[in-house]
Amino acid sequence: MGRGRQMDTTFALEMEGITKTFPGVKALDGVTLRVKPGTVHALMGENGAGKSTLMKCLFGIYQEDSGIIKLNGKEHRFKDSHDALNQGVSMIHQELSNVPERSVAENLFLGREPLNKFGLIDHKKMNEDTRHLLKDLEINVKPEVRIGSLSISMQQTCEIAKAVSYNASVVVMDEPTSSLTDNEVKHLFKIINQLREQNVAVIYISHKMEEIFTIADEVSVMRDGQMIGSYDVADMTNEKLISLMVGRDAKLRFPEFKSNVGEVLLKVENLSSPNPRSFQDVSFEVHRGEILGIGGLMGAQRTELMEAIFGVRATKEGKIYVDGDEILNMTPRKAIEHGIGMITEDRRGSGIFPLMNISNNTSIASLKEYLNKLHLLKHKEMKEESVRYNKALRTKTPTMETLIQNLSGGNQQKVIISRWLMTLPDILIMDEPTRGIDVGAKYEIYQIMGQLVEQGKAIIMVSSEMPELIGMSHRVMVLCSGKCTGVLDKSECTQENIMRLATKFM
Amino acid sequence: MKKLLNDSKKVASQYTTWVTFVGLLLLLSILTNGQALRWSSIRNLLIAESVRSFAALGVGMIIITKGIDLSIGYVVCLTASVAASFAQNPDYSSAIYAGQTFPLIVPIVAAVAAGGLFGLFNGYLIAYGKLPPFIATLGSMSIAKGLQLIYTKAAVVGSLNQNFKNISQGSVGPDPNLIIYVAIAALVVWILLKHTRQGTHFYAIGGNAQAARVSGINVERDLMMVYFYAGLLYGTAGTLLASRLGLANSLTANGMELDAIAAVTVGGVSQNGGVGKVSGMMVGVFTMGLINYGMSFLGVDSYYQQLVKGFIIIIAVYFDMKKYARRA
Repeated sequence: MGRGRQMDTTFALEMEGITKTFPGVKALDGVTLRVKPGTVHALMGENGAGKSTLMKCLFGIYQEDSGIIKLNGKEHRFKDSHDALNQGVSMIHQELSNVPERSVAENLFLGREPLNKFGLIDHKKMNEDTRHLLKDLEINVKPEVRIGSLSISMQQTCEIAKAVSYNASVVVMDEPTSSLTDNEVKHLFKIINQLREQNVAVIYISHKMEEIFTIADEVSVMRDGQMIGSYDVADMTNEKLISLMVGRDAKLRFPEFKSNVGEVLLKVENLSSPNPRSFQDVSFEVHRGEILGIGGLMGAQRTELMEAIFGVRATKEGKIYVDGDEILNMTPRKAIEHGIGMITEDRRGSGIFPLMNISNNTSIASLKEYLNKLHLLKHKEMKEESVRYNKALRTKTPTMETLIQNLSGGNQQKVIISRWLMTLPDILIMDEPTRGIDVGAKYEIYQIMGQLVEQGKAIIMVSSEMPELIGMSHRVMVLCSGKCTGVLDKSECTQENIMRLATKFM
Repeated sequence: MKKLLNDSKKVASQYTTWVTFVGLLLLLSILTNGQALRWSSIRNLLIAESVRSFAALGVGMIIITKGIDLSIGYVVCLTASVAASFAQNPDYSSAIYAGQTFPLIVPIVAAVAAGGLFGLFNGYLIAYGKLPPFIATLGSMSIAKGLQLIYTKAAVVGSLNQNFKNISQGSVGPDPNLIIYVAIAALVVWILLKHTRQGTHFYAIGGNAQAARVSGINVERDLMMVYFYAGLLYGTAGTLLASRLGLANSLTANGMELDAIAAVTVGGVSQNGGVGKVSGMMVGVFTMGLINYGMSFLGVDSYYQQLVKGFIIIIAVYFDMKKYARRA
């Protein structure tokens, strides 16, 4: 495979000292990335390392707090993604971003439809142009077809065509192969090679080592919002790359906690999702006083599995036992009654009630325990309990009447943990418990988790952060593509072992 | 000084509803040399807005759950017709049930039940049928209208007996019954929203339905119930309206859905769901009433009233959106 030709010495793209802060967390800390034209530049790092945030800054979706972006040596600051496209930066997003009810051609030309002399859309030209484009890229699809009727992988291929069609000098691909088959990946690589020939700079974000070594010329590694460095792929090995991504030693310190691992509290047998692409045939046990870590890469279906156990998602087969009793037709209500609590991954989407105050956000899952004889709520007691839990967790808030949306991510998370502690659970599912939380608050959450298992509760912790998985878990179960690829005991829990299991089917 | 300004800004944005209401009231009292502030004037305002209050309380709860109800006007119209049909004088030859006398309880129960049934129908479609509230209630609006026309054969249901008319037209001392009914309804809805589990669930569902589900809330059942409760309130509104007017026809309560939605919106019930108080809903109703009433009092052409009302709604929602806009 031909390595890129270097036409000149200027970089196609330079991002220098990019810093971006979200409330309560520094997502990017002075990140610098330089990409040469006619090369494929892989961007790697664990989930949450800041890759996507960096690309969103490039693309004008986020505005960086400080830093400079240069295109072909000239400084640019994109107002929005439209502006970025006009300047020759296009992006294939991780999630499909098409309009399913419109045709392939209409999607490709969305926002820049060719017009005829009356100022109306020239459908004929649009379809013709699309046909040529698709033919050049050897994509076998008719321009008139409704894009939503195509397979997900074909839709993804069309998005790639769209990104290419802007004649961009920089094309960003954020995990473009996550829904492609092997043959389609080969096809994509062919397209990428074409782009390289045309002197385009391709930024390629992926977790898949094999792909990086096949297609990329250079690789930059990010960790915890910082750029670790840029390297020639030719000088890289699998092991080197992994150790760069995870960091040689865990930067975070974890609190000491001594818990007695006891009897089985939760047992899951052969749990399968009705969706064949989701979790299949997963079995595991969690014991009293134990933290079971769940590892895996994005798309490993960890969240889906947790949601199924908590009854948010349907299951096709399999059994769930709590304390030895089988629970049929699990719903969140039943789960709570049986002493399970769930802190969801998506704090905004399914965690907080943004316009409710701290007190109500805390008590919402335990209202039943605070009814008087007339079945009216005992507001005073409820509030006192909310205060008690939030105090114990050291939630920082001006008052209990403050709306939760005005707190930082870490404090929001503490309120949500308080909410579940108030339901007096035996088993707590924590999906990415420290996502988007700064280092100090992370440590406090680890301490809380330690105290909980010391009290004899069981915790299932889904985490994409290796140090967290290794530092906190008694055992780690690893999923890959919806299947359990292994359970590691504390002694076997190394980053390499987890990564090996997490990429088993890739 | 700057702090004072900031503080007063904060208060103004937090209590937009009240500030608007008090401001309008003061303006009106200045323009009328204090006449508008007399109890007799205010009492008239309360009477005029009483039936709308019921509709507003109902749709206010619905909007808190992030829903909407377009069927209010015709459901109230239908329930008013049902109530009236059971309260006609037996000697009235065009009566729907000519020659029959029903106890006073029958029209009340029939109308409230009809309202409740419509509420359940709406609620079922929205909660379990997953229809968008706008569409579900658009359909039931037309159904209610059709049923009303079929039931009354498009005729006026008039000649109601005095006992029935006294429900609304009677008074306790100088104060009309209607004011008392409104106070009771507001109190009941306040207790429901503020002091019961289900009321808290309504806010949770409107604020973040997915988080509500994860918190163990039976979202579907609670959603259905909110439409049911609203239906009961519409049924009550229908009864009171028929009783107050002494008749019901196909024009009764026309457009009440828009008045009620506008009123609660002005009263700070957010269309984004999860936000709203009974006090706000009531103030919203009276603010809208005050605009109507004040402008009539001042002799402003009714065409301008529509215009002013329109602007007030838009301004109220504009500030509402700003207030709860997500920080990016």
